[in-house]
Amino acid sequence: MKGAMIRVEALTRRFGDAVAVDAIGFEVARGEVLALVGTSGCGKSTTLRMINRLIEPDKGRVEIAGRDAREMAPDALRRGIGYVIQGVGLFPHWTVARNISTVPRLLGWDRSRIAARVDELLELFGFDPAEAGPKYPAALSGGQQQRIGVARAMAAEPEILLMDEPFGALDPVTRARLQDEFTAIRRRSGLTAIIVTHDMDEAFRLADRIAVMDAGRILQIDTPERLLRGPREGFVRQFVGLDDRALRILSLHRVRELARPAPDAPAPAQWVAPDDTLREAASRLIWEGGEALAVVEADRVTGEIRAEDIWRVGTRGAA
Amino acid sequence: MRRYFLAPLVLAALLVVLLLRPELMTPLLRLLAEPGQDLIYDRKPLMTLALWHLALVGAAGLVATVIGLALGILVTRPGGAEFMTLARMASNLGQTFPPIAVLAVAVPLLGFGFEPTFLALCVYGLLPVFETTVAGLRGVSAPVREAARGMGLSGVQRLWRVELPLAMPVILTGIRLSTVINIGTATIGSTVGAVGLGEVIVAGLQSGNTAFVAQGAALVALMAICAETALRGLGRLADSGALTRA
Repeated sequence: MKGAMIRVEALTRRFGDAVAVDAIGFEVARGEVLALVGTSGCGKSTTLRMINRLIEPDKGRVEIAGRDAREMAPDALRRGIGYVIQGVGLFPHWTVARNISTVPRLLGWDRSRIAARVDELLELFGFDPAEAGPKYPAALSGGQQQRIGVARAMAAEPEILLMDEPFGALDPVTRARLQDEFTAIRRRSGLTAIIVTHDMDEAFRLADRIAVMDAGRILQIDTPERLLRGPREGFVRQFVGLDDRALRILSLHRVRELARPAPDAPAPAQWVAPDDTLREAASRLIWEGGEALAVVEADRVTGEIRAEDIWRVGTRGAA
Repeated sequence: MRRYFLAPLVLAALLVVLLLRPELMTPLLRLLAEPGQDLIYDRKPLMTLALWHLALVGAAGLVATVIGLALGILVTRPGGAEFMTLARMASNLGQTFPPIAVLAVAVPLLGFGFEPTFLALCVYGLLPVFETTVAGLRGVSAPVREAARGMGLSGVQRLWRVELPLAMPVILTGIRLSTVINIGTATIGSTVGAVGLGEVIVAGLQSGNTAFVAQGAALVALMAICAETALRGLGRLADSGALTRA
């Protein structure tokens, strides 16, 4: 992989006698999102924290955009990498706007540029800047705090974002919405990101590739679909979960990939949108008991999707 | 702002009135005195004694605060943890040592008057400031500290911009405690010739004049309550965030 944004080689860290991270290596391409998944204590957070040198590795190296991280001053390195931590960690004595402007201030941006960036981010994350900016973190709900935490990490327009359980401790509805927001934002901004999570569903939703870790090692690193179709024996198989893998594979594909042409017509009562997942389309087909569904965009039928096509995607051996 | 400082202002006004017009206390003092005894201490103006008292406590408090803060910051830094036991032992010793004993040791070295009392009060006032500084800095939540490091704040920036402002309400409690204790403790300085309100009490004890003892004690107590409410107001102001919000 030429021009990897993040390259990790033989990275090792011990705490006392215990090996937390054991000679792991991987690369993340520019614009790619990698998820590190595994159970608690598998070394995924330690790995993440070695990338921005919150923890120094015992052995191995980290390269950021081709430069050895050890050659950069730790504070400067961290200012260039967005970091979202478990537990959010907003500064309680600063307003939301001041929190978001933390890194731009450290970098010495001028006032007007900082103010514009803060407003831009607040809007991006669904806040009214005039209303939310002067508030203190304690006045926000948990979901709002986590969004501000992500906004703060993105404030200085970093090319890399490191996220440690960014959407943990949220109700499923809020979490799903934040995950969708994050996916939309990172598509637009071309961010490279590493996300640490113990939630396989979150990894499937957010990541281009997933690294399954156990006892300080990466057991398998692959795209979500290849991980579902060919998980290694043992821990990976167990952790990925195979009971509903056909449905999970369907959720990785969009209706537009399988839509067939259909004559233009007004939208019928039951339909799907091109960006809905095949899983959603399948669920609707099962519920309606039909063989095909209209694909609708802006109230007009633009195509149709057939049950047999969907089933084929979710079948063993398809790719 | 006003609701935090109304009580100390009223009390301070009362104290000033009593210092300048001590004869207002005579009806009460008459009940305590033997016939023929003086009721009001008049060898020095009470205002002069009060100002010296305040100067002594203020100067010692300032030094105790600076040293306590510095020690508290030092032992909570990554490289300073090993000094924790030593610093805690030293400040505990300062607190357990009776101030009168410190005076006894200090007088041969520093002579009589202001200096030995100043030293005793510094030593005595150190512990509350040190302990609350440590507690306040350690009380900053782990995610907040982790975020500050992860954002790339340097060690000094983390201390000044994040840790100290968040610890400030707790630290102010220690400074308040230290000050109030020392306003009372400073009276014993008069036994070694420090000028202060203790002089009135000591004179009363020596001459068997209960009226002197009572007026000295009342004025010192009023001063202590005054300082307590004022510093408490400051603490509540810090809690409300007005002092530390940027």
